[in-house]
Amino acid sequence: MTSDFSGQEPEATSFLYPFIESEETDATSLLDDLAASARGKATESARLQRESLDEYAAGLTAAGTAMAQRFLRGGRLYTLGNGGSSTDAATLASLFSRPARGRPVAAWSLAADEAVVTALGTDVGFDLIFKRQIIAHARDRDVAIALSTSGNSEDLMTAITEAKQRGLLTIGFSGHDGGRMAAADDLDFCWTVHSQSIHRIQESHAMLGYRLWSVTQEHMARPLTGASA
Amino acid sequence: MTAIVPPPSGPFVDEGLSADLAAAALDLARRFHDGATLWVISPQWEPHAHHVAVEFVHPVIVGKRALPSVALVEPDPVAQARVATSPGDLLLAVASADQPAVVDAMRRAPAWGAVTLWIGSGRRPPAGAANHVLWIDSDDPMVPATGRFVLMYHLLWELTHVCFEHPGLLKPREQDCTDESCITCGDEGRLGEIVLEPGDVAGQALIRTAKGEEWVDTSLLDPSIPIRANDLVLVHAGAAISRLEEALR
Repeated sequence: MTSDFSGQEPEATSFLYPFIESEETDATSLLDDLAASARGKATESARLQRESLDEYAAGLTAAGTAMAQRFLRGGRLYTLGNGGSSTDAATLASLFSRPARGRPVAAWSLAADEAVVTALGTDVGFDLIFKRQIIAHARDRDVAIALSTSGNSEDLMTAITEAKQRGLLTIGFSGHDGGRMAAADDLDFCWTVHSQSIHRIQESHAMLGYRLWSVTQEHMARPLTGASA
Repeated sequence: MTAIVPPPSGPFVDEGLSADLAAAALDLARRFHDGATLWVISPQWEPHAHHVAVEFVHPVIVGKRALPSVALVEPDPVAQARVATSPGDLLLAVASADQPAVVDAMRRAPAWGAVTLWIGSGRRPPAGAANHVLWIDSDDPMVPATGRFVLMYHLLWELTHVCFEHPGLLKPREQDCTDESCITCGDEGRLGEIVLEPGDVAGQALIRTAKGEEWVDTSLLDPSIPIRANDLVLVHAGAAISRLEEALR
């Protein structure tokens, strides 16, 4: 295995260690610093989650209510994302399809099937891996949720446009400044997590998805009579 | 009107967990430095296994080195981990303490020579169940979907890369095994897993331990119980001296 330390960007913590690093032998101060760093980042993760929930409370309630109505009409949820966000999309789909409590509904990640993804990627291009699946699967009572920390992924944008044209409820989870998703007319709801850290954005995306699921469950548990909302 | 559960108000990572994360990250960095691969299992929540793997293989911060990590998501993660793992590798589970395949894999990992990490929530695994237990003490079954596990392995990745800036601390340690008097590597009763059952040569079985594969004498074991591949035994001085109860079978 190669050990190329010279290619590393030094982190801001380096100045804390005023000895020659290759001769460093006592890990105590490093461990203390790592632990403090972990607590600081975790505090920021929690703060950003709370702030995002507060900022988008009204939209989450409206979107969750609309999703519940679609599920009650037999609608399905498709989740979309690339890289780490594809795994968060899969976690979100699982939350809807096999929750630890509450009612399961049909939901899956459009990145989950490697045969479909690689077939589309090699034959029609990576930018169309999600759009072509929307064309194949979508009915007008369905829901599509796209997760992107930049809000700029082309494969998500083309799929969202297609989904909107087909009558789906479209929801975007974005980050940084919101990117193209924040300005997209094809998204019924778009929630941008205001952070420069991809990690912290993903952690807040998970919490927004969890709140969305909670609202959906709440509405699906109500008797239909009198529930005109 | 909506009774939505709020996020917990306490710190996501307290003093104890932060110390656990720091120790795990340094160990992870040292093992990667020595050539380890990080294998990840999460039978209940496979996307978490994939997220850990993509985190290490394709870092979100440009310039950070790509590290070998693979999600093992086949129907039998124990069988997959057994064949994947080499001595010195890392095995990370994201799972509850009662997930049977993970309990089994963690129990066998010492015979495979793997260093183990276990991320989860709810009831904790018993003491010593893994080398590093990174635990969220919450009974809420929804924790795995709220970003708390994602935070945990994000922190593990971030801290591991900080350790790479301290090459002096990644070198072999003095307390590590350097001579034959080391108790860990001495013949004090090492965990072994049967690879080949005893055949023609009376009582000799091929087993794997943290040191690799070796032929051992099994004539001391109770002859009324057949010796089967993947049985766990204790090895001392070239002989299998006892079986571990196969309580999970």
